[in-house]
Amino acid sequence: MKFTDKLIGAVDKKLERFDPLWQAEHGVGGQRSRYLDKTGVAKWREWRGVKDTFYDYSAWLKNLAAMAGMVASAPLPILKGFWEYRWMGSYLGTFMFIDRLFEGYRGTELRIAHMNMYGIVQNLTKKIAFILANDKRLGGGPDSDKCIPFDETIPPLFLKGFKGLTPVPMQTLPEFIICDIDQHIEPYYIDVAESFGLAADVCSRCAAEAGVALDDAFPILGKVMLSTNMPCNASEATSMFQRRRIGLPDFPVTMAMQHAEKEAISYSRQELLNAIAFVEEHYGVKYDWDTFYKYAEIMNEQNAIELEKWEIFKTPYSALSGIAETLYKLYEWQSANGADPYFNKIDRKVIEIMRQAYEDKYRPFGGRTRHRAFLWGPSAVYYTDFPTWTQNCWGITIVLNMDSTMGYNQIDTSDREKALDDLTALEQRATMRHHAVGGWDNVNAVWDWAKKFNCDMVLMNDNIACKGMLGVHAMMEEQARGLGFHFIFIEHDLEDSRTVSRQDMRNCVNNYMSVVLNEKPLDPTIVEFDDSAAY
Amino acid sequence: MKNVLAFLLKLLGKIALVALILFAATFALYITNGENKLIYYVIRPFLNKHYDAQVRDKRIV
Repeated sequence: MKFTDKLIGAVDKKLERFDPLWQAEHGVGGQRSRYLDKTGVAKWREWRGVKDTFYDYSAWLKNLAAMAGMVASAPLPILKGFWEYRWMGSYLGTFMFIDRLFEGYRGTELRIAHMNMYGIVQNLTKKIAFILANDKRLGGGPDSDKCIPFDETIPPLFLKGFKGLTPVPMQTLPEFIICDIDQHIEPYYIDVAESFGLAADVCSRCAAEAGVALDDAFPILGKVMLSTNMPCNASEATSMFQRRRIGLPDFPVTMAMQHAEKEAISYSRQELLNAIAFVEEHYGVKYDWDTFYKYAEIMNEQNAIELEKWEIFKTPYSALSGIAETLYKLYEWQSANGADPYFNKIDRKVIEIMRQAYEDKYRPFGGRTRHRAFLWGPSAVYYTDFPTWTQNCWGITIVLNMDSTMGYNQIDTSDREKALDDLTALEQRATMRHHAVGGWDNVNAVWDWAKKFNCDMVLMNDNIACKGMLGVHAMMEEQARGLGFHFIFIEHDLEDSRTVSRQDMRNCVNNYMSVVLNEKPLDPTIVEFDDSAAY
Repeated sequence: MKNVLAFLLKLLGKIALVALILFAATFALYITNGENKLIYYVIRPFLNKHYDAQVRDKRIV
């Protein structure tokens, strides 16, 4: 043993009483002991032992540098953005968000988690700087009219064939990402929507998006916008409100909903071609297939690596799981979607580490995992850092979330006709379309996913305002009983934490684990706590 | 030659000192969760006050 290892070992031994995992194991505290009541503000950061604390510190520095870089690249627009948009203020909660997400992470899983998170941070900070620097509400910029704003649930890969134009997901900054970071931001926008007389019993995501539009809080870019279809009343409504309030010419990319059917491909690919023609007409540019192929190759590599990761997920030796897996995949797939090769760099590094961990038979989370769960969960699992909590409190590891099951087919880059078919197949399996609103088969597939990944448990988020999903509640319960899975419905109101609080959500799991399974928590300090004032 | 070596050593010493001070300051900020306390108790309340005072266009268009 090297001298430094001996020294680190001695320091670790001396300071172990500050480690929340050690505290929980010895009945003298736990993760919640270092928090100020309700606020989610920790008195000090988690002590993870010398090596892991310093790794976490270096990751924090790296994220800090990315944010400083963002401000330095567009200082005035960033300041204006903070002053103009309420949602920009919420981004200040990012450090607290990252700390929450990776509580209890050690060793290899901590390293992979931070690599993945940095991918999101570096991409998002560049996106924020670019969007604000070209936002016409803030004075505009050189690229204001070279942007194509689109509904964030449309995968932007196909738009990368427009050389010189930048696809910009409209809702990602002011609504989608930020609702994960700050549970208090969307209730404001929901209230704005409702103050205009809109119904209060609709999906809170759609209400919040409508509120952002009515509050004039969408950055304005581009000459046109691309909206999309989702078969629920609230989603259709919010698209209309955004279109009217923003006032740009709009092309609704109405892809097939029942996309599992073969005939859907020819319909949806025509929709993509129509959208391309619409952009060509308004921007006076020609679609470049070679440029598209370049980005399709990037996406292909990401998906090839993803499938290899899946093989490791099936085993107990996957150093990538929980929030580090699902949030990364959701962002990489839906938001970057082949546009940022940095994600390929991360994927290559991560798969190397995962292979090694698998060979070494490395059990993450100190081998404290008791259950393997497949999660069917949207945004509400992110602002509650739910997968992290299930692991730390009850030893339930989230092997895979629904967000990681989006299009994973390869795109042919040698033949345009084949490429179009492949692209359509990939784009149809996008967020929401492939989940709650793409037909019963997609929902029913949870059992196959759970079985495929050797899970004994299924956690299913139950959005109390989603009329479609409420209809399947009883059927899912019945099937779970028949198939022998531990099955927990977690009620939530998506982005409105006032209706169903974080603790209410946690109680769904607490009740099942203590009453049905009669298990004891790994960390009693996080079974019941008040974090209502936390971001 | 000696002078150059002395200069280099001095320079290295200074760089090491600055690095040490920077490390101590940032690590203290990190471990005490200083930036989050500042954001939660000072910056966000200030910004929220400003946001609450903003006049937004309430017309239906």
